[in-house]
Amino acid sequence: MQKLHDLKEAFSILEIAQPQLVLGSAVAVGGILAYLLLKRREVKSIPIGEGWWGAGDKPLKEDEKIYPFEVQTSDKEIEDLHERIDRTRYSDTLENVCFHYGFNSTYLKEVVSYWRHQFDWKKQVAVLNKYPHFKTKIEGLDVHFIHVRPSHREGQRVLPLMLVHGWPGSFFEFYKILPLLTDTQNGLAFEVICPSIPGYGFSEAPHKQGFDTLAAARVFLTLMERLGFSQFYLQGGDWGSLITTNMAQKKPQSVKGLHLNMFTSRRGFKVLLSMLIGPYLPFLVGFTREDVRRLFPFMEKNIYEILRETGYFHIQATKPDTAGCGLNDSPVGLAAYILEKFSTWTDLKNRDLVDGGLERKFSLDDLLTNVMIYWTTGSIVSSMRFYKENLKTNIDNRVDSRTGIFVPTGLAAFPGELMHCPLSWAKIRFRNIQSYSYMSRGGHFAAFEEPQLLANDFIQFVKKVEKL
Amino acid sequence: MFTEVLVGLVIGGLIFFFVQRSRKQVLKREDGWWGTGAPPDDGEDFNIRPFQVTTNNEELEDLHRRIDQTRSVPSLEDSQFHYGFNSHYLQKVVSYWRHDFDWRRQVDKLNQYPHFKTNIEGIDVHYVHVKPKNLPEGTSAVPLIMVHGWPGSFYEFYGMIPLLTEPADPDDLAFEVVCPSIPGYGYSEAPHKKGFDSVCAAHIFHKLMKRLGFQQFYAHGGDWGWQITTNMAQMEPKIVKGLHVNFAPPSKPGLPMMLSVALGRRFPKLFGFTDADVQRLYPAVDKLVVESIKESGYMHIQATKPDTAGRGLNDSPVGLAAYILEKFSTWTDNSFRNLDDGGLTRKFSLDDLLTNVMIYWTSGCIISSMRFYKENFGKGLNQPHAKMPVHVPTGFACFPNELMHTPKLWVKQKYRKLKTYTPMARGGHFAAMEEPQLMVQDIQTFIKTLEKK
Repeated sequence: MQKLHDLKEAFSILEIAQPQLVLGSAVAVGGILAYLLLKRREVKSIPIGEGWWGAGDKPLKEDEKIYPFEVQTSDKEIEDLHERIDRTRYSDTLENVCFHYGFNSTYLKEVVSYWRHQFDWKKQVAVLNKYPHFKTKIEGLDVHFIHVRPSHREGQRVLPLMLVHGWPGSFFEFYKILPLLTDTQNGLAFEVICPSIPGYGFSEAPHKQGFDTLAAARVFLTLMERLGFSQFYLQGGDWGSLITTNMAQKKPQSVKGLHLNMFTSRRGFKVLLSMLIGPYLPFLVGFTREDVRRLFPFMEKNIYEILRETGYFHIQATKPDTAGCGLNDSPVGLAAYILEKFSTWTDLKNRDLVDGGLERKFSLDDLLTNVMIYWTTGSIVSSMRFYKENLKTNIDNRVDSRTGIFVPTGLAAFPGELMHCPLSWAKIRFRNIQSYSYMSRGGHFAAFEEPQLLANDFIQFVKKVEKL
Repeated sequence: MFTEVLVGLVIGGLIFFFVQRSRKQVLKREDGWWGTGAPPDDGEDFNIRPFQVTTNNEELEDLHRRIDQTRSVPSLEDSQFHYGFNSHYLQKVVSYWRHDFDWRRQVDKLNQYPHFKTNIEGIDVHYVHVKPKNLPEGTSAVPLIMVHGWPGSFYEFYGMIPLLTEPADPDDLAFEVVCPSIPGYGYSEAPHKKGFDSVCAAHIFHKLMKRLGFQQFYAHGGDWGWQITTNMAQMEPKIVKGLHVNFAPPSKPGLPMMLSVALGRRFPKLFGFTDADVQRLYPAVDKLVVESIKESGYMHIQATKPDTAGRGLNDSPVGLAAYILEKFSTWTDNSFRNLDDGGLTRKFSLDDLLTNVMIYWTSGCIISSMRFYKENFGKGLNQPHAKMPVHVPTGFACFPNELMHTPKLWVKQKYRKLKTYTPMARGGHFAAMEEPQLMVQDIQTFIKTLEKK
């Protein structure tokens, strides 16, 4: 009571003219508090939504069973491939261009010769089948995946994990990292699910328009649910990184941790400012020396390089049916198109090499197995459509771009990745970063190229999360 | 004393600046060598050899076999031509190609005009050369070079050639027409060295015309043909008597252009914008930026990775047809994207369209044709020829469905002697093939204006 009286006195002490000042500051404080409250109440998840992508109309009931699946081939398939390879009509390269005009024709002939005479597809199919494959119908589409359990479960903590690939990759990219995750022998092991994005490889392609990363995320969430996993980890790069991010945004309560080897930030004032000041006063905008080394000179590294390397992106995001049509008839054309990325996106300097440095980090058997997945399933066109489905509307205005990611996140920044994203930028969207690592080597296809490095980073991230 | 010197220097500087500006710049170009290895010691082979398009059973059987082995992928439901060439309609086109299209007959049609080849700067350059058959007494034919673009060919001009060489109206001029193939396209050999851009092509075509004995001539072009003929005019303004183009995207957006985009909607009269101009330019972001992005994917990949982009197309005739014919659909009228059949046969016959595709297929030139994009754009947009104006009398035919609309003000920024600017009644990017009569009419009007002087 006394306090109230004091307060009243204090108030009346102020001059009559001053209440406006007090009112003004009260409004200001109130405004700031309201803003902070609203910000905290910011959307932490995005709607799950629904969809159906099969041909024609949706049936009343969907088959939810999981069927085992085996990759198969036949003599006919191999003969057809050989016949087409033999009928390739090569063009001469220009003199002295290495990989600057795309996949060098001279080196292409060497790769194709190996493919024609030494590559053993039947052997590779057996390699593919060493892990159990399955298919199940979700939202009208047959979704393919492999399910790998750790070999010994005693004395291990087994955590479920989904790995999602991108373009022009496939579930096969993970075959090197799988043993490092399922057979770790240090108390922590993973039970891994590697699906194929609908439209890629052995997963059925959507028949309706609009199948974007949000739809793929929902399909994969349904898959994990159907497999009985209520909580799990996610890892992805390329499209896989966007899809897993969407999964974490749709159902954060199920995602224990999200690990990405490719990530971007939202453009905004903070990013722009740091681009301008960064080269000169990096510490001021939260850049490390490594950030500066990877980002600048900005125009050259980011704008020009991106322009040079995104022709495929542009045509696939606008005319996928045209772009992929010829590639589905010409295995050599398909190989050149896909393998050019495995060369250039591993290290941009590979463009200066006559052989594109292709076999420095990858074996021809592995590279061609990935190409064969696209060839035998005829999925190149549907794989390209994914670009258009995601970029038809301005992706920056989509609900997931405007929403943060609040699950524990681990980011692995590989030096050869197409565009570097410093921690200070990543923090704009990823609000719960537990680990950010500058990887010592490796490019875009991290799981394929540097499985040990990626596995190590992923496991240290999971250990951090599990201790929480 | 000091101030006088300073003033003198400033005035002198200004005079120098204006004199430089008014002195018409000429595009310089040295001889190149595009053959394999090093140029031979014994100089160039000036021989002109007659050439005939030929085919054989083997070629046709191979084509048919490949068509039969196409692995088609169904398009998404209700997507028309928005995702590219619709697979359902593609099957219809391919079925016609496989069973009804008569390549031998088309080859005869191609051979109705005399073809030649001659070696310039190390590569065989192909061209069609048509002289008028009946020239009235005392007149001579007006020489005219017509250059095609991508994904077209010399064949695009076949509708125009008879109208130009044998005009029905006695008051019309009779032309002697030369239609070359750009090196790397069709029956012209592809350059073996890097760097063959439009300026190099222009240089070669000048040599060709000189070799054929023409001291002066007129030039016409669209698409890359526009760029090449413009370069020809910039290189030899005295030799190119007049330049007629149906496509003229601004190469260097200057201040007048920017201002007109910003203010042209409100103050059209200030910039000489007609109602048609306003309708085609605005809303600016949609029509200038978004449309360009939607339609330039091919340009982006061809200007960066042509060898990769064309690789599959040289093995798959159906893939090649889809890639090329998509342009004949969308660039004729971009509302055709909403049609299940892409409106392809509304303006063109399948025979003509497939003949053009066959030129790319039988010569295997798709990759080299794409490289032209990289050679031109790879050097950036700041090339000397892009900044240089054109002082040769120019005629511009403005077709309503052309990819990019250029109002008179923009054309005049580069073409300082614009004599005719004709809004055409109908037609799109492939105007020569789509509306040959309208095009020839405009060429006649333009050149008659010049010849009367």
